[in-house]
Amino acid sequence: MSNFKNLEYILDHHFDSKSCRHYVNGFVNVLHCHHYATLYAQLADDAGMLDGKLLLAESCEDVFYDVLKKYYIENGICSIRDKINIAEQYYSATGLGKIHFQKAGPESGYTELTHSHVDEGWIKKWGTRDKPVNFMTQGFISAVFSLLFDTPRRSFEVFEEESIVSGATKSSFKIVRK
Amino acid sequence: MTIDRKKIIENMSKIRVIGNEDGLVSGFNVFVTQLPAAIWNTFADRLTAKVDSEMLEAAEWLLVNAAQECGYHTGYGIITSDEWKAVVEPMIEKAPEDILYGAFAVFTAWGWAKAEVIELIPNEKMVIRAYDYYESDAVSYGYGNKKGAYMIRGVSAAFMDLAYGGEYDPTGNTGMRTFSCKQTKGIECGDDYGEFVVSRAQ
Repeated sequence: MSNFKNLEYILDHHFDSKSCRHYVNGFVNVLHCHHYATLYAQLADDAGMLDGKLLLAESCEDVFYDVLKKYYIENGICSIRDKINIAEQYYSATGLGKIHFQKAGPESGYTELTHSHVDEGWIKKWGTRDKPVNFMTQGFISAVFSLLFDTPRRSFEVFEEESIVSGATKSSFKIVRK
Repeated sequence: MTIDRKKIIENMSKIRVIGNEDGLVSGFNVFVTQLPAAIWNTFADRLTAKVDSEMLEAAEWLLVNAAQECGYHTGYGIITSDEWKAVVEPMIEKAPEDILYGAFAVFTAWGWAKAEVIELIPNEKMVIRAYDYYESDAVSYGYGNKKGAYMIRGVSAAFMDLAYGGEYDPTGNTGMRTFSCKQTKGIECGDDYGEFVVSRAQ
């Protein structure tokens, strides 16, 4: 039987007084509220002609991919278990909610959210909704899966199957290799 | 004016945000995230680059509106917070003007933009200058003619809403969008700084 020690996500935060920017692990970070995130989600949902939902998911996928890849490289994180552990902690540290990668394979996977900034923020602002709104997390999951299996971005599709915003106790996501 | 901008920035920039056991951050009457600025920039830039020219103004309005609602509600949370009461409130002699000067010091401390009020005509007009702001990162080389500081526009208008738009309305049905903001200069357009003019909404 093996014993595993969980790695702890290290958040290196500093404020550059010259530019007045906040950096977290080398990336410019900024605080925003649930009004901002939910209005971006609504805008993405409304922009059907441009496939705004995919646009927001892919924007997030690209940025989270870069952020996590840099962290994994700089901290020598190679195993799937450790990558998932750090990704889950990072997600919570940002305030996006509580994510659990339940199953991950090179062809498919399954992920749950037990808390969600976007869903709970949406409910706080407008109430429940019968369609998913968490395109940001779809992008996050897609980025993590690409990093877990060393595949290029856009290698995985993410389908939100149940949603906190619709009244479910958790959001669940099915992941399928393209 | 007795607002000590440097002191406010020094104090309020020390804020450190991390999710609780549920991965959520509650503060200032809202849920908060601390995310890479590139997320907001990437979506805004791709959206405004892809949209047809006749739809550009509408897309930009929606991006500004997201920030105006954020600035209105979070701004109210800031100016009623314990942190504000401890650091900024003792400096306020003349309200709401000093509140505006203080709010832009907090705006700077939180990394939204290194911005300050350079002109204020009470209840009428405000001019903001931003010497560094993450939204200008959308251009890495050269410059274009698309002024892309939608967040600064929205939040600046929201702060004037809070100052002169009447009593704060948690529903946002009244009080919000009484002011609007135009960006007249931008670092992303080759200017030395961004400039933003807030006036009564038409």
